[in-house]
Amino acid sequence: MKVLVADDSGTMRKIILRNLQALGVTCVTEAADGAEAVAMFKPGEFQLVLTDWNMPNKSGPDVVREIRAQDPGVPIVMVTTEAEKSRVLQAIQAGVSDYLIKPFTSETLRQKLEKLCGAVMHA
Amino acid sequence: MKAEHINPFLVAMISVFDTMLGCKLTRGNPYLKNAVQPEHEISGVIGLSGKAKGVVVLSLCREAALSATEAMLGERPTELSAEVSDAIGELTNIVAGNAKAKLEYLNLSVSLPTVVVGKWHTIEFPKSVVPICIPFDCVWGAVAMMVGLVEQASPAEISQATGLVLQPTPAPRG
Repeated sequence: MKVLVADDSGTMRKIILRNLQALGVTCVTEAADGAEAVAMFKPGEFQLVLTDWNMPNKSGPDVVREIRAQDPGVPIVMVTTEAEKSRVLQAIQAGVSDYLIKPFTSETLRQKLEKLCGAVMHA
Repeated sequence: MKAEHINPFLVAMISVFDTMLGCKLTRGNPYLKNAVQPEHEISGVIGLSGKAKGVVVLSLCREAALSATEAMLGERPTELSAEVSDAIGELTNIVAGNAKAKLEYLNLSVSLPTVVVGKWHTIEFPKSVVPICIPFDCVWGAVAMMVGLVEQASPAEISQATGLVLQPTPAPRG
């Protein structure tokens, strides 16, 4: 299973990476901003995308829209501090599959991943 | 600065330190902060805009910053490095984001965090804002949060109060 992680904070990318490794996911590509995430994404290459909302160059919702236009089926999770209902609605309209509010626990991330790509994770 | 504005930041600070860092904070007495000098050696700064504008600052002593980074990354840095700055910026972002979710009626947006390192550094708040400082203590040492937030009237609210109809500034020709 290959995962694309987009977050402008290296600290948050490391936290996500550590959590993914604990779940047995070792193939992770990191993007340091929204534009980099869109440039790195290739349809069919990734089985999951985790993206932040507030990033330089391209925001999370724009990343979701652009990736979704290329690959309608890939699960995309917005991992963000933007917890207001209006923001969640905005993310859903952009095309996210799920939403994870920072700070999150390892267990919450595990549950989201099991729900979205359990079959791929256990393959 | 209204109490209803400061409380979400206070709650978010205690909650994020507990759940994310496993660190219990003990709150001191809040006070108005007239000088713009943060309390400690490293400060994460985030601007807020929307129906209110302001700044939130998370300021940590060296030991607290190193220990918070260790709790986030699993490795202890030896100095206030770029890695520590990034961790404190993200921590400030998470505290501000959690607080603004409780202030949804203000429709706040947060800026990307910036981090200032060094003793006696200063941070400018908007002129109309007198920030409130909340000191905290924990096993790692002293931490403080400063919040300055002031509500802004929308053009529609100004029109309603004054009877004036505000027109957008025409774009320059040419």
